[in-house]
Amino acid sequence: MAEVKYAEVTYEDIEEICEEFSNREGAVVQILQKVQEKYGYVPADALEFVGEVLEIPKSKMYGVLTFYSQFYQEPRGKFVLKVCVGTACHVRGAGLLVDKIKEELHIEPGENTEDMLFTLEPVACLGSCALAPMAMVQGTAYGKLSADKMVSLIRQFEEEAEKEQEPV
Amino acid sequence: MLTEALEDTPVNSGMQTDLPVIYIGMATCGLASGARGLLDLIKKEVEKRQLNVQIVPTGCIGMCHNEPLVDVKMPGKFRVSYKNVKPMTLTQIFESHFGKNDFAKKYAICQIPVEGSDPYEGLALMSDLPFFKGQVKIVTRRCGMIDPLSIEDYIAMDGYKALKKALTTMTPEEVVEQVTKSGLRGRGGGGFPTGLKWSLTQKSPGPEKYVVCNADEGDPGAFMDRSVLEGDPHAVLEGMIIAAYAVGGARKGYIYCRAEYPLAIRHLKKAIDDAKSRNFLGDKILGTDLSFDIEIKEGAGAYVCGEETALLASIMGERGMPWPKPPFPAQKGVWGKPSVINNVETLGNIGHIILNGGDWYASYGSEKTKGTKTFALTGSIKNSGLIEVPAGTPLREIIYSIGGGMVEKKIPFKAAQLGGPSGGCIPVDGLDTPVDFENVVAAGAIMGSGGIVVMDEAACIVDTAKFFLKFTQDESCGECTPCRVGSKIMLDILTRITEGKGQEGDLDELVRLSMYVKSNSLCGLGGAAPNPVLSTIRYFREEYEAHIRDKRCPGTVCNDLIKYVVIEEDCTTCGLCEPVCPSGSVTWEKGEVAHIDLTTCIRCKACVDACKFRAII
Ligand SMILES: Cc1cc2nc3c(=O)[nH]c(=O)nc-3n(C[C@H](O)[C@H](O)[C@H](O)COP(=O)(O)O)c2cc1C
Ligand code: SF4
Ligand code: SF4
Ligand code: SF4
Ligand code: FES
Ligand code: FES
Repeated sequence: MAEVKYAEVTYEDIEEICEEFSNREGAVVQILQKVQEKYGYVPADALEFVGEVLEIPKSKMYGVLTFYSQFYQEPRGKFVLKVCVGTACHVRGAGLLVDKIKEELHIEPGENTEDMLFTLEPVACLGSCALAPMAMVQGTAYGKLSADKMVSLIRQFEEEAEKEQEPV
Repeated sequence: MLTEALEDTPVNSGMQTDLPVIYIGMATCGLASGARGLLDLIKKEVEKRQLNVQIVPTGCIGMCHNEPLVDVKMPGKFRVSYKNVKPMTLTQIFESHFGKNDFAKKYAICQIPVEGSDPYEGLALMSDLPFFKGQVKIVTRRCGMIDPLSIEDYIAMDGYKALKKALTTMTPEEVVEQVTKSGLRGRGGGGFPTGLKWSLTQKSPGPEKYVVCNADEGDPGAFMDRSVLEGDPHAVLEGMIIAAYAVGGARKGYIYCRAEYPLAIRHLKKAIDDAKSRNFLGDKILGTDLSFDIEIKEGAGAYVCGEETALLASIMGERGMPWPKPPFPAQKGVWGKPSVINNVETLGNIGHIILNGGDWYASYGSEKTKGTKTFALTGSIKNSGLIEVPAGTPLREIIYSIGGGMVEKKIPFKAAQLGGPSGGCIPVDGLDTPVDFENVVAAGAIMGSGGIVVMDEAACIVDTAKFFLKFTQDESCGECTPCRVGSKIMLDILTRITEGKGQEGDLDELVRLSMYVKSNSLCGLGGAAPNPVLSTIRYFREEYEAHIRDKRCPGTVCNDLIKYVVIEEDCTTCGLCEPVCPSGSVTWEKGEVAHIDLTTCIRCKACVDACKFRAII
């Protein structure tokens, strides 16, 4: 199925993103966020171009990129399973969800499935602790999960992806 | 123009219509419980019945465990709240209100008074429910009551009145004086007096100043700020604008919000746009000399960025590393200029203080902690959600009266974790602790930003301490060795203990390392990282010792220490446990007591759950 697809980035694309920001120096983090929004990750070329446009040394750019855990240097799955492992979710069995995903999709935290459909990403707290254990996928929050519900969610996403694949 | 902005409000908000109103909780908890699908059903039902009603999405009312929540307000009547609404329930609710002119008794939890309207008979008032009885809502007063996306709703509930009062009838000094009088202390966890912080920033020289709102809410298990941002975003803006005025005319403000709160960010953006269009933000606000703008900065996943100096570095596009204080942000903040940095809840209180006076706010709370505090009540508790109580409310009242006690009636309370990764555990003996800054510290935890995670006897204290230490260890920025390396060594020891490889002397070593990390770390992250360990050793030494000496986990959480056995006397030889075991570790023959082979058992607990007679422990 799908291969890991690396994005093609041009200098002009990056220039365009940078132009949106008036105070460029303070906007490094925001610019990288925009880049990631566009490509799904921060491609190495993009990082270099942003540095060139803003006239910031490569080492510093790299320093910023690696400091923040939400920047990714590699492409990620279509569905990023953000499983909350915060306190409230931890005491209500978040570990079981993570274990189930590992078992079901054969991936470790931070990894993608081979077909690039899923990425497992444990996160600290999604702010809906009252519905622990929680997960968020593509911006949608799912509460009061169990290992079984997690599996049916995964199935649901797989179906969704399959439907998209079908020629219209 | 001033009056126009405030009083010429077009009647299109849920607050001011004569139509029936259907409210639906659409904050994160609501959405996670299926509110979106429910909203579609409501729309369909409205269409089907050809009703002329207003549908209003609202924020968090605090009863997150009861989501999805739907309220119905008929003209001339009080507003009725329904909990855990399902498609089936929905039809009956519609039938009751629009068919029979009544309410659906079976599903209603309470009614909320509406001015000039009549109550229903036989339904409790919201304020009489145990969950709300001990609560005093100031900063969360509007949450769940209004449409957070409607500036009209906000204005209808006294919104931007405080701004008008401050800008047109008070000097900046008088504003600071009221905030000082209120006794308000920073709600982000530090508890620094807000009035003092403002006055320091005001006195810092230079015309260029900044106001920063800390909306990073990094403590896992805490969502007070999220509820306010999602449910009442204008309150935070109003607090910031008043701060801008009070510190001597700041022109620019930043809200640093964590990326895990996409809904909060959306609501803030809309609120900023609407405030601009009515000139509560922008140039010459309400015709005065104050010009102030707000920009949102999204976090990128670093807990330490909640620390104020790291946050400032991050706003400036740097790695979010803390810097040594002094200089304090009040002297040198964003772009080296004096900056006042306050937490969401702190700022959310400002409007109410200005409007009602500092003395009014100070009339709530305890001697040294004035006003109210919000808490996110979670874990093994029945009513988990968001609450706001006067500071100094005893923990027992929070957990048992408001929280409704343990979620599993049979499993008793063990401890409450307060203050997240910087806090500690309070045991049964500490249940009478008044929850305010000073008393919670005396009990070995911190009030922190307001996360309360309740644990029952099925939880493991050592595992919890390990959990928090792992969190801080992961999030350490690495600048100072004691924090980075010390916490790693501590974590290794704790991990060893939970794996059944603990040794005599481990506890002494943990305490020794804790002291070292505490006193040699630059920022509060390292400085408080050992707290969860210290507080649990203080109160639950026996539980650590059970792990170390007896290789036993009393809460049956630590996998390596769990030994499932069949209790012969309780086993009815029914055989239910045998087929569920994924590793074939259960042997059972008809008429015989089951047996578990611990060498192959993977501790999945399936057999325990399968046994109806609780014969496997
Ligand atoms: C490691 C660390 C994390 C923090 N995280 C937050 C946070 O997420 N939200 C917050 O408001 N304050 C946080 N603080 C406290 C801030 O440094 C600062 O005290 C606060 O924003 C000041 O606002 P206040 O006086 O209104 O509370 C954190 C402090 C430390 C040391
Ligand atoms: S105490 Fe820890 S988090 Fe804070 S500055 Fe030092 S290394 Fe960084
Ligand atoms: S399910 Fe329980 S009672 Fe039945 S055989 Fe197994 S241990 Fe015994
Ligand atoms: S805990 Fe799981 S693996 Fe162990 S005996 Fe029971 S069912 Fe089998
Ligand atoms: S701890 Fe999981 S949502 Fe907060
Ligand atoms: S988020 Fe809905 S009641 Fe709290």
